[in-house]
Amino acid sequence: MSSTVTAHSTTLAPAARPIIDLPGTSTVFSALLRADLTTQWRNRRATILVILIPAVILISWKGLVPRIGAANVLANCITVGLNAIGLMGYTNSIARDRDKGIFQRLRITPAPRWTIMVSRLTVQLMMIAIVTLILFIVGFQSDHITMTAKGYVLAFLASIVGGAIYLSLGQVIVGLIRNAETVNVVTRLVYFIFIMVGMFASIGLLGKKLGDISLWSPYGTVQHILADALNPNTWNTQSSMALLVTIGYTIVFTFLGIRWFRWQSSK
Amino acid sequence: MSTNQPVLQIQNLDVRYGSFHAVKQVSFEVQPGEIFGLLGPNGAGKTSTLSAIEGLLTPTSGTINVAGYDSRKQPLHARACLGVQLQSTSFQTELTIAEIIRLYAGIHGVALTRERIDRILDDIKLGDAAGKRFGQLSGGQQQRVSLVIATIHNPTLLLMDEPTTGLDPQSRRQLWERIEAMRDKGHAILLTTHSMEEAESVCDRIAIIDHGQIITIDTPQAIVDNNRDRPEVIRASRRGRITLEDVFIGLTGSSVRS
Repeated sequence: MSSTVTAHSTTLAPAARPIIDLPGTSTVFSALLRADLTTQWRNRRATILVILIPAVILISWKGLVPRIGAANVLANCITVGLNAIGLMGYTNSIARDRDKGIFQRLRITPAPRWTIMVSRLTVQLMMIAIVTLILFIVGFQSDHITMTAKGYVLAFLASIVGGAIYLSLGQVIVGLIRNAETVNVVTRLVYFIFIMVGMFASIGLLGKKLGDISLWSPYGTVQHILADALNPNTWNTQSSMALLVTIGYTIVFTFLGIRWFRWQSSK
Repeated sequence: MSTNQPVLQIQNLDVRYGSFHAVKQVSFEVQPGEIFGLLGPNGAGKTSTLSAIEGLLTPTSGTINVAGYDSRKQPLHARACLGVQLQSTSFQTELTIAEIIRLYAGIHGVALTRERIDRILDDIKLGDAAGKRFGQLSGGQQQRVSLVIATIHNPTLLLMDEPTTGLDPQSRRQLWERIEAMRDKGHAILLTTHSMEEAESVCDRIAIIDHGQIITIDTPQAIVDNNRDRPEVIRASRRGRITLEDVFIGLTGSSVRS
């Protein structure tokens, strides 16, 4: 090893400092949002699947409307859509882009890091709004489900609250697991378990014990608040509890998801 | 901006990954209009040093000043002065070249019209590629686009991590011409490369780093001259004359690093 070390450890003269006008947050955010919306649009095959699955369930459950009620049928299908957006869409896109180094590329720009994630989340909130609206329309057209205007508005708001739980759960998964392929497998598994257990429990096919567990699961609480929001006259203490539990889940998942999240899949 | 002040100052930089000490007390500075090469074997600490400058990792200790902005106290200002060309390409695969350029220009607050983007692409001989995806371009074309994006905001300091890896000789030559043109305009460039010939011909100054420590910093010629009589350098020489590669191997050892 050489002894010609010339690295200096003395105090250096201050560097020249150009006056930097940082781009405004709104400028940065609109650039990110435009790119994220374009990306979502280009992935419209996946988007169509997210809409198609709950829409097909909604159409095929027409016969269940008289048995479990229109609000329950519609709430179940919206919950399935919200699951797909949060667990499959958002989570996998984050895992994939992290794996490709896209976040790394964005992080070396003057974009505040929160804008990168908020832009992604904004796109997903738009997706939640679109899926909810489409399912309202499909429910009306196919199953002749009609609710009051208040019911639709409250359910729309409930779908935003409910969607947040799955986005935050996705954040936990992508925080715990670095490998994009593993994230893909785990989110599919969780999605499948949630919708199978949740749907069957909600129509009473899994017995009382599993039904009770499912009722307070992230699937059950969202389905519950959606059903009672669609039919505001049925809103009771248990609905409020379900809303509080949903918010609680979201806060816990968000905290853990942010804490565990790493911008790079390696090191 | 004064031209005699360094645009990058690194003082006593330390980076640790758990118990592994990747960068040890590294200090150097880069002047405006200078091409500075950071050379070292695999795992020597080059990428960790670059990552610390880019703000991708938090140093254990030490300071980094980019154009006078402390990268810890004013990270956004420091990053706004940086242009970075990463080793691997990392742009959204769903976006077209024009959309990617518009995205990064927007993030830097640079408003670009469609005509301006077309002109930029014409300049790098990719006038017909605006609607293509990044993955559809050849390696040389990707490097040109990466360089455009890295410099879209006219950065004070350009960081390039092994910019010529995988390029054919024509693309490599063209890239160096562009880098030298930037240097002539007053931009400072900090790059890593494994090509000693390139470093010798292009870099104004070079730092050789190994095991996280800087072994030497000087002009390529001075590094060769100062080390040509060392026995380990003479042993490494294979062509009868001492080259930068011989000095590099003499100083860092001939064993292959993983």
